[in-house]
Amino acid sequence: MADEARKKEIYEKLRTGVIQYDEDACREGAQEAVSEGLDANEAIFDGLVSGMEEVGRLFEAQEYFVPEILMCADALYAGLDILKPHCKQMDLGVKGSVVIGTVEGDVHDIGKNLVKMMFDVAGFTVYDLGRDVPLDKFVDEQLKTDSELVCLSAMMTTSMVGMPKVIEKIKAKNPNCMIMIGGAPTSKELADKWGADGYAEDASNALKEAIKMVAFLKKLRDEKIQKK
Amino acid sequence: MDADPLKQFLQAEGATLVGVGDVRRALSQEIMHLGRGIAIAVNRGLTRDTVDLLMRLQALTEGWLRAKGYRSLSIPPDSDRRMGKMISKLYKLFCHKTAATCAGLGWIGKNGLLINERYGSKMTWATVLTDAPLATDRPYVSSRCGDCDLCVRHCPSGAVQGHLWSLGDPMREIVSYDKCRSLKSGRTSLREKPNCGFCVTVCPYSRNGGEQQKAG
Ligand code: B12
Ligand code: SF4
Ligand code: SF4
Repeated sequence: MADEARKKEIYEKLRTGVIQYDEDACREGAQEAVSEGLDANEAIFDGLVSGMEEVGRLFEAQEYFVPEILMCADALYAGLDILKPHCKQMDLGVKGSVVIGTVEGDVHDIGKNLVKMMFDVAGFTVYDLGRDVPLDKFVDEQLKTDSELVCLSAMMTTSMVGMPKVIEKIKAKNPNCMIMIGGAPTSKELADKWGADGYAEDASNALKEAIKMVAFLKKLRDEKIQKK
Repeated sequence: MDADPLKQFLQAEGATLVGVGDVRRALSQEIMHLGRGIAIAVNRGLTRDTVDLLMRLQALTEGWLRAKGYRSLSIPPDSDRRMGKMISKLYKLFCHKTAATCAGLGWIGKNGLLINERYGSKMTWATVLTDAPLATDRPYVSSRCGDCDLCVRHCPSGAVQGHLWSLGDPMREIVSYDKCRSLKSGRTSLREKPNCGFCVTVCPYSRNGGEQQKAG
């Protein structure tokens, strides 16, 4: 097991690898994290994702443009591909199925993919609709798969306005389905206002919230069955 | 900014031709800031080795520019076959032939390919876009095919129509790719080579290793 300083060094390598869009450095850092027995989840979020946050800052400061951001995203995925299989399968007592996607008009899917990954390692069945997903597709997919949970992601103020429409439609057809929203421009307040059941600011909290919701739903169902 | 040191450096590393063009008119919004196109060609067909060589030259170009504090974006030679990455989505926004005409390395022939005066259309191209204010070469603005129509007459699928290219009319269809493709897909079932390529070999500029000048 690597000591604290070595761990820091590896996370820093992953972080700068993303910032300097150096795919090889990300692959190398990820490999080191794996072979030295570091926690894969931590390496992803404290290394790769923390780098992407800095990239967002550089983009806002107009030091980076679209090509750089895309190359940074490629570097992030290069590390993620190696780390993902090593994310510990968690047994959290509850499992469910979830429909997830980035809403229409929005192609940002890095955050959504991380949230999806957390559901994967927790043993949920995930129906990933991808990005720029037509609003009705969420409604259809939920009905088709009878998933307990629908997760909506948006990274733009212009696209997040599609969220309340999806929420309304799903709730009209299936009031028991739980809906969670996320992505940088969203908030707890917006989730409440739009009638969503949950909001989380990052991927691990998204999972915690989801488990609470699914557990609650299952309890409701059990009670109903017992009464019959 | 003088481009000669870069050109000499790349030629020493194996490039056949290097030119710099002002490509702003051909850029979409995402890459608008990268106003110079460095066109790099090697006098070889599109094989694995050629691709590797060109990509090495691109990496060297990027390093050269980065050391001077400039941004760059490399469009790989086989950009149409590179998929699955985020950055590959940008590749289709830019065409190598555009960089080459802007960089004064040739015109678009009646056969739809880039014709270099010396090497014809047998070259393989790669482009590096950059925001470095490199001195530009004089672009080609119109076709030099003249009255020649060898490729029109020899094209077995009737794809080459005989139109003259000019920079002012970039959207004009010069070769009917549907016709060309139909011939190729028909041939794969026989034991013939799927690629036809008459339009390359028949061109006087491409003949004799590319060293000879235009016939008649
Ligand atoms: C990467 C990026 C891109 C990449 C996207 C690549 C991809 N496949 O995702 C590309 C280059 C394609 C891109 C394009 C554009 N982008 Co952009 N981009 C970014 C950037 C820099 C980083 C986003 C990111 O990936 N962050 C890292 C991830 C890990 O974080 P995250 O997405 O927030 O996800 C976490 C949480 O939010 C949460 N979460 C996310 N989803 C969900 C869902 C649920 C259910 C839950 C519970 C939680 C949750 O968990 C995640 C993990 O912890 C941001 C800037 C920024 N600082 O955010 C701009 C930004 C989002 N982009 C922006 C814009 C405007 C655009 C463009 C219009 C072009 C332009 N002018 O730049 C296009 C839009 C195209 C479209 N129609 O969608 C703006 C949006 C402005 C606004 N308020 O509307 C931003 C904020 C930049 C800015 N400051 O202006 N972009
Ligand atoms: S490859 Fe053959 S069919 Fe296609 S344009 Fe050239 S000559 Fe015509
Ligand atoms: S064969 Fe003649 S017309 Fe065709 S591209 Fe070559 S020079 Fe132009």
